[in-house]
Amino acid sequence: MNTQLLTTRPEVRRSSRGAANPFRGQHRRRLLRADLLAVLFWASLAGAISLWLADGGAAGFSTPAGSFTALGIVAGLAGMDLVLLMLLLAARIPVIDRTVGHDRALEFHRKLGKPALYLLLAHGVLIAIGYGMAEGLDPVSEGVALWVLVPDMWLAYISMLLFIAVVVTSLVAVRRRFPYEFWYAIHLLTYAAVLTSLPHQFSVGSLFAEGTWQRWYWLALCIATGAALVYYRIAQPLIATFRHQLTVKRVVGVAPGVVSIEMSGLRLDQLTGSGGRFFIWRFLAPGLWWHPHPFSLSAEPVRFDAAGQGTLRITVRNLGRGSARLAALKPGTKVAIEGPYGLFSTAARSRNHVVMVGAGIGITPIRALLESTPFQPGNATVILRGHSESELYLGEEILELCRQRGATLFHLTGPRPAGVRTWLPEHSARAGHRLSSFDPRLAEADVYVCGPGAWARNVLEDARAAGVRDDQLHYERFDW
Amino acid sequence: MRTRAAVSAALASAGILIAGWQSGVHVADTGSSAASTAAGTTGTTGSSGATGSSGTSGSSGSGSTGAGSSAAGGTAGASAKAGGTYDGSVVQTRFGSVQVRITVQGGKITDVTALQLTDAERKSVQISNRAAPLLRNEVLQAQSADVQTISGATVTSDAYLSSLQAALDAANL
Repeated sequence: MNTQLLTTRPEVRRSSRGAANPFRGQHRRRLLRADLLAVLFWASLAGAISLWLADGGAAGFSTPAGSFTALGIVAGLAGMDLVLLMLLLAARIPVIDRTVGHDRALEFHRKLGKPALYLLLAHGVLIAIGYGMAEGLDPVSEGVALWVLVPDMWLAYISMLLFIAVVVTSLVAVRRRFPYEFWYAIHLLTYAAVLTSLPHQFSVGSLFAEGTWQRWYWLALCIATGAALVYYRIAQPLIATFRHQLTVKRVVGVAPGVVSIEMSGLRLDQLTGSGGRFFIWRFLAPGLWWHPHPFSLSAEPVRFDAAGQGTLRITVRNLGRGSARLAALKPGTKVAIEGPYGLFSTAARSRNHVVMVGAGIGITPIRALLESTPFQPGNATVILRGHSESELYLGEEILELCRQRGATLFHLTGPRPAGVRTWLPEHSARAGHRLSSFDPRLAEADVYVCGPGAWARNVLEDARAAGVRDDQLHYERFDW
Repeated sequence: MRTRAAVSAALASAGILIAGWQSGVHVADTGSSAASTAAGTTGTTGSSGATGSSGTSGSSGSGSTGAGSSAAGGTAGASAKAGGTYDGSVVQTRFGSVQVRITVQGGKITDVTALQLTDAERKSVQISNRAAPLLRNEVLQAQSADVQTISGATVTSDAYLSSLQAALDAANL
C-alpha cells in the first residue's frame, strides 16, 4: 500500500469559520509591509529621475545634443538606482526577509540585473552621442576623448566592463557551465564595479556637484547601501557565530546518503521559532570552511539550561561534493552561521488551519515547522512524499510529533506515473486523488510545500486549482 | 504586484516626479540668471582691464563666432605690435563654448579675459570659475599658450588655450 493514513483524525470541536484567527493581524501587517516595499522601490526610481528634474535637467531637451545627453543622464541615474536596489535586495535585510522571503528577494534581484545593465549601457552610449554632437565629434572619438581627458572616467569604463562581466556570468545558461565558486567570485566583482563607478558620478556628474542637496541625497543612498551590506552580510554573521559558539556534537546516519548533524551551542533560546527557516553553515574544518551550505533546521533548538545551552540539528543528503564530506565531520568542529533566513516559518502563517507537504530531503524543514508552528489539534495535515518508505526521512519522528500535536499524517510512496504531470505516486493519481482529497479544508489553510522544483510546482498548481490563494501558499526555493 | 501597492506606487512616483519637475522649473530660472551673471562678471573684469575695448563683451553670448574672428583679423591688420585687444576663436566643448580676449601692449600680453567659459551646467560654471584665474596667471607669466592644463578642468583648459592661441596668432605674437 503506498498511500497511508497514519493517525486517526482526532476528535475535536471544529471551530467555526468566524473563529478568532491569531494570524490575521500578522498576515495583514506582512501584506502592508510588502506593499510598502513595492512603493519604496518605485519611489526610489522616481526619486532618482526627480533629482535630475529638480536640477532643471528637462531644459536639456531644447537642443538635439542636449536631448541625448539628458536621456543619457536619466538612464545613468535609473541604472545606478537599480544597482543600489539590487545590492539592498541581496543584503539579507531582516525586514525584507520577513516580508517577502529570501528567495523572492533574490528572484527579484536577479530580474533587475539585465534592466540595470541595459540602462548603464544606454547611459554610456547616449552621453557619448550627446557630448559628441555638442563638440562635433563622432560618438567613438568622443568616447576616447572622455576616457583620456576627463578625470575619473577611465574608472567608469572599467566599472562598465565589470558590470557586463557580472551580468553575463549570472545568466542561467552561462552559470550552469561553471562551478558555484567561480560564479560567486565573479559576482564579488559587483562591489568593485559599484566602487569604480562612484568617482565619476560625483566629479563629472554636474548633478552631484559640491554644495547641492542632490549630492547629499545620493551620497546618503550609497553609504546606506554599503552600510547595510557590511552590517548584515559581514558583521551580523560574525556576531551570530560568536554568540552561539556552535560545535558539531555528532553525525548520525538517517538513511543511505542522508545524515543528521547535531550541534551544540549557547543562547539557543534566541533561535527558537526558526523552524523551517534556514541558515548558511560553514564547517570550520580543513577544506570545508570556505564552503557555504544553506540548510534548514530539521529540529527546533532544544535548550538544556537557563544559559540557553542546548542542541539543534540539520539533516542533509549528499547532493554535491561538499555535502558528501559532511558525513565525515568530526565532533568538536566549530561551525560558523549566517541566518536564520527565509519565510518558510510561522511568520508566514495567515490561517488557523495548516497543510504541510514535503518530498525527499524537503521533509526535514517540514519536520521543524511541524514542531514549532502553533495549531490546535485537528487543524494540521502533514503529507510526506518519497520514492520508497525509506526515503521518508525522519518519518518516525514526524509520526510521533503528529500524534502528540494532533495532526493528520499521510505517507505517499511509489514512483510517479509516466507522462502525467502530477506530484502524486502512480497509485494515488490513478485513484483520482488530489491535494484536496487529503484535507477537506484545504481552501482555508496555509499550505507549506518543500521539495524538488518540478514536484513542488505541481503541488502548488493542485492547491491553486482547489481554490488556495497565492498568499496562503508558502514555498521556499532552495536552488539558489 | 497587488492593486493597492500598484496604485500607491504610481501615485507616490507621480508625486515625486511632479515635485522634481516643479522645483526644476524654479531652478532653471534661477540657474540661467546665475549663468548670465557669471558671464557678465567675466565680461566686466575684461572691460575694466582692457584698454580700448567697447563695453559690448558682456552681451556677446552666442553667435559671435564669425564676428569675433573677423574683428580680430581686422584689428590685427591695423596694428601689428602696437597693442590692442584681440579675440580668440570660439571653441565648442561639450560643456559649452569658450572664447578669450587678450590685451596686448608693446608686444606683451598684459591681460587675458574670458568672453565665454564652459557653463553648460552648474558644475561647469564651478570648474570654469576655478580654472579661469589660474589659467590667466599662467598665461601672463608664460606670455604664450604653452602652459599646463588645470587638472580637473581639462576640457575648459584645452578650449581656453586653443582660443588663446588663435588670439595670439591674430596679434602676430
